[in-house]
Amino acid sequence: MSLREQLKELHPMQRFRESAIGRSIWRVPDPKTPRDAAAKHWASFFMHIYPVKMRKEEIGFRYSWYLGISSLVLFLVLVATGVILMFFYVPSPQSAYLDIQRIQTDLPFGQFLRNAHRWAAHLMVFVVAAHMARVFYRGAYKPPKEFNWVVGVVLLVLTLLLSFTGYLLPWDQLAYWAITVGAAMAGFVPFLGDISKKLLLGGPEVGATTLLRFYVLHVAVLPLLLALVVTIHLWRWRKDSMLSPARTEDDLPIEEFVPVKEES
Amino acid sequence: MTDRSTVNDRLTPDPVVIENHRVLGVVPGIPPGGERKELEREEAVMVWPHLLVRHAVASLVVVGLVVLLAVLFNAPLREIANPNLTPNPEKAPWYFAALQELLAHFHPQVAGVLVPTGIIVGLAALPYIDRNPHLLPRYRKVAVATFTIFLVVWIVLTLIGFMFRGPNWGWVWPWQEWYGEL
Ligand code: HEM
Repeated sequence: MSLREQLKELHPMQRFRESAIGRSIWRVPDPKTPRDAAAKHWASFFMHIYPVKMRKEEIGFRYSWYLGISSLVLFLVLVATGVILMFFYVPSPQSAYLDIQRIQTDLPFGQFLRNAHRWAAHLMVFVVAAHMARVFYRGAYKPPKEFNWVVGVVLLVLTLLLSFTGYLLPWDQLAYWAITVGAAMAGFVPFLGDISKKLLLGGPEVGATTLLRFYVLHVAVLPLLLALVVTIHLWRWRKDSMLSPARTEDDLPIEEFVPVKEES
Repeated sequence: MTDRSTVNDRLTPDPVVIENHRVLGVVPGIPPGGERKELEREEAVMVWPHLLVRHAVASLVVVGLVVLLAVLFNAPLREIANPNLTPNPEKAPWYFAALQELLAHFHPQVAGVLVPTGIIVGLAALPYIDRNPHLLPRYRKVAVATFTIFLVVWIVLTLIGFMFRGPNWGWVWPWQEWYGEL
């Protein structure tokens, strides 16, 4: 055993990993061979989200600009800040606006929290759209990734809806009239215009029912849906990652992609 | 020390003999399925650490950017909502500014329903319409041109609706009057 390996064995983290508790958490010992390193992926929930191996060119900045992972990070930031905001906010026309004011003035770091939630939300819309454009220019929607692109389009719509429903919650003039304009579009749907608008607003115009509806959509329905669809998106990304066919000199797939049963 | 390291030493390749299985023989020649071009081995790298480290850095950059923005700029809060006091202009959130701009020019059923539905359906259908197997932009001129035109039009409409529209949706110069809201 080399000196380096011997030193590693002495490292407290390493010894913890090899202990009964450590093994129960990590499930596999620290990898010593490539096979162990791959096994580590199957043994860990978080690593399992990722493929074991990827093409070298696909992990660099130039390939994805890391916009997909950035969308995910923004979503996580929004969940974290949003949950804290929820403790101090009640969705009714009597309290909503005052609660936002109190968050900004009375709550330690409240203004910072609200700022972070708002800017992360705007950024997320932008970054998700940019991610889509990057995927397009890379041609990364081509077989076998077509369906993951469709899943992505669903994510784009969910992101817009999340941002839109959140926009009403401060219940100030900005919020109220932006939603009034936006919701007016629902009224233009042929035949179902009135119904869809009433369903969205809970009345002829933006009011207490609208606020409650948007709140429930914003803090429960849409985030859960988005989390579910993101999971599907990442799972497909992992499944498809090494399946796209290698390419010839003049950029043609070496063989047509045929979906096959994966042997793991 | 675990007994694993003695069996699978770093220097020995993965064993061909796996528990309860033996390789009976290696047959020379071309497999019945025909010659299959394997991916070049060097092409693939382990996700840990190569990708995960990069993702960690990207995550830190994103979080840092949010913290920076939150420290520098306060989120807007206007007066309490008043259903009787319509502001002029009435602006939708910026990501709907392009649609709102279209609404000023076309029938609401076109700008408010047909266009957004068409965009979403068109985007979802893209991988099934574009069956060109090439990845490099120089072999995908039609797709790249179409998408780029759409993108540019959309960005321009968004900027117009967001920055260049004032009272009664009239034209304003953003450096003279500012009506954009985030
Ligand atoms: C909430 C929104 C979204 C999140 C969190 C998300 C997340 C991700 C992540 C983490 C990846 C892995 C590679 C990378 O970092 O780029 C990825 C890949 C991908 N995304 Fe998204 N995405 C979102 C929206 C979209 C949208 C709107 C589209 C397109 C319409 C899309 C299409 C794709 C495709 C096709 C891939 C595979 C690309 C490849 O393998 O090179 N995604 N996404």
